Amino acid sequence: MTGPTLVPFQQIVVKVHSRCDLACDHCYIYEHADQSWRTRPKAISDEAISWTALRLAEHAKSHALPSVSVILHGGEPLLAGPERLRRVCEEFTSALEPVAALDLRIHTNGIQLSSRFLDLFDEFDVRVGISLDGDRTANDRHRRYADGRTSHPLVLRAVDLLRQERYRHLYLGLLCTIDVANDPVAVYDALAELEPPRIDFLLPHATWDDPPARPDGSPTAYAEWILEVFDRWDARGRPVPVRLFDSVFSTLAGGPSLTESLGLAPSDLVVVETDGTLEQVDSLKSAYEGAAATGFDVFRHRFDDVALHPGVQARQLGLAGVSRTCRQCPVVRSCGGGLYTHRYAGGSGFDNTSVYCNDLKALVRGIEERTAQSTASPAVSDPEALLILQQDLTRYTLARLNEELGGRGGERWSAAWELASAIEETSLGLDEIYAHPYTRTWLHTCLDALREQRPDAVELALRLESYVAAAAVRSGLVVPVRVGCPTGTLVLPTLGELRLTADGGPCEAEVAGGPDEVLVSVPGREALRVRPGEAAPGWRPLRQPGLDGWPGLVLEDVDPFRDCFDEPVRAAGGTEALSRAWALLRDAAPEQAAEIASSLTTLTPLRSGGPSVGRHAYGALGLGLEGTPPELAAALLRGFARAKLRAIGEVADLLAEDGAWLHPAPWQDEPLPASQLLAGAYERVLLASLDPAAAAHAVLALKALRDAPEPTVSGKRLIAALHKEAARD
Amino acid sequence: MTLHSSASFAAAKKNRVPLAQIDVRGADAAQKLARVLPASGARGLRVTTFNSSL
Repeated sequence: MTGPTLVPFQQIVVKVHSRCDLACDHCYIYEHADQSWRTRPKAISDEAISWTALRLAEHAKSHALPSVSVILHGGEPLLAGPERLRRVCEEFTSALEPVAALDLRIHTNGIQLSSRFLDLFDEFDVRVGISLDGDRTANDRHRRYADGRTSHPLVLRAVDLLRQERYRHLYLGLLCTIDVANDPVAVYDALAELEPPRIDFLLPHATWDDPPARPDGSPTAYAEWILEVFDRWDARGRPVPVRLFDSVFSTLAGGPSLTESLGLAPSDLVVVETDGTLEQVDSLKSAYEGAAATGFDVFRHRFDDVALHPGVQARQLGLAGVSRTCRQCPVVRSCGGGLYTHRYAGGSGFDNTSVYCNDLKALVRGIEERTAQSTASPAVSDPEALLILQQDLTRYTLARLNEELGGRGGERWSAAWELASAIEETSLGLDEIYAHPYTRTWLHTCLDALREQRPDAVELALRLESYVAAAAVRSGLVVPVRVGCPTGTLVLPTLGELRLTADGGPCEAEVAGGPDEVLVSVPGREALRVRPGEAAPGWRPLRQPGLDGWPGLVLEDVDPFRDCFDEPVRAAGGTEALSRAWALLRDAAPEQAAEIASSLTTLTPLRSGGPSVGRHAYGALGLGLEGTPPELAAALLRGFARAKLRAIGEVADLLAEDGAWLHPAPWQDEPLPASQLLAGAYERVLLASLDPAAAAHAVLALKALRDAPEPTVSGKRLIAALHKEAARD
Repeated sequence: MTLHSSASFAAAKKNRVPLAQIDVRGADAAQKLARVLPASGARGLRVTTFNSSL
């Protein structure tokens, strides 16, 4: 039996001072349920600093963390004074320097900020975030001195100082706590005017026992307020990143959340109080007295001990850590059940929806409605965009291979790489090579070989020469290209293969010519001339069956990387059955047939079975070419559906948290994860032309997916388009 | 598969980063390649998510 999984801490909040020079009435430290600040030392001790740095370095080393963030916090951290903060910076820098990258930050109200502090922060690269609730009216609503005086001018002075050229690199941004009584546009404008590198908006801490103010009674007042900010921000050209918005964008697209107030990402944060005690995230202080306590401290306990604390682990459970209601909610991937603190209710603890549930749902949906059109990948709705993105992916994979080789390819690789770059800039020959589905297979094979440190890895990569030679030929470049032929056969991808030595011994060839005639020279032999489309002794061109309406189709039985299917490949035989199936398909499903003809270039004959999609780029399909024409026509449609859905998924995120939920599938008893339900629905939508009953099942499945949490903005767009097509049939 | 005469391909080709200048370690490339290449296993740099600071 294994123990609980430990999520290492990468964010350490260090309370360097426990008091504050302001008396904000919305502060969770002093004004909410937990009053433990009263018993803490004012400033963190030298001993607590040293032990914290030591524990953190030990933690980073044992978990091989590439970086850790240390956030200096309070109270008001600047009240610790420059000397204490210097000590903190020195201790953390020296302890972490040999172990992991250190990201030092401080979050302050700015009142005390001066050049003395900023020079220190410059020395240790401590970046500075400032709390500011907007314009003066908004800020003064809560952020005042104990005697009621405004803090606003002093905060502006601090921001002005931070914006000076010499300190600007330390300016992290502004943090604004929302009050719906404030004018959202005035608040946003006041913040944006200060040119912060980033803004975040925080919901005021509240629980079911102490719910947030809703002056107009609206259950979505906070969402409406934030969406007004969103609209202003959007209308102004989005001049500054807003963490809250970026997080929703990220999760809607299938990525991680960027703030602990949203999303399902496990918490990796621990708090060190001024007395060295280790606590959970300190917003829990809003819930009840002692809610953040763990019973651990830096003097006697490792960070691993805290990471295994049940309270910490409860915030690392992802979907399993939210309430039953949240688990069924379609926006849960984006809201994550809200900030843990905001779920609290006496009696049921944290096993509730957020007290901001309606706001979070309205906010996520509001942002989605405003942006889905522009953020969904064009690959889901535009077949040509899919082809372009697929080609681009192959280019990036080639660039990755170049990077992974790291010079191991020597002069041969360098020469081929430089020529590839030149061809790409001046002609379309290399683009035709990128479009060949098995070019990607070769690249994956090379990257696998390099990762596995196989002895043939570099030799495999040097096949780039043959791809560049084929590109040069296609481009009609007169530049001869040198190609190593380790098995005595020259393979020109997308063109054919030429046997150069009878015994299969290695040789070296020089390839020149153009699309009409290829000239191949081997030292010591007479130059060979072949015509790409015509078989000749030793030369085997690609076979093109010349189907009516599908002129570009190739029956590929030459490319050495075509053997990438679950079923073994075989030589191409007769094409009579394929021709009849294609004619039937064009008649029954003309739209789908037209898209197949413009998207699939390559059928690879399999010994049996299929249709099969292998490890290749979009454009190929493995197919056993036996069977009746109706069977083959259906296989082509099914195969196209599989190939296209996988191709879309390679360039766009369609689903997130796939497998976390199971959905009823209309065509079987067992429920399915979203990816399998989508694949089944996709096939059935395409097959509807041949099998009208398939459309009904597809519609039911797509309705289930439409209301499910997994689809991203791109996934939703695809599902909507498929639903429209299925409903039409 | 030939797109080369289409307006969208011409626009895409014109606007794309040249092969030799692709930054495969950059965020854009990492996101593209992560969908088709196995994860490296190395833990990436973590963004700070603490609600009460940036």
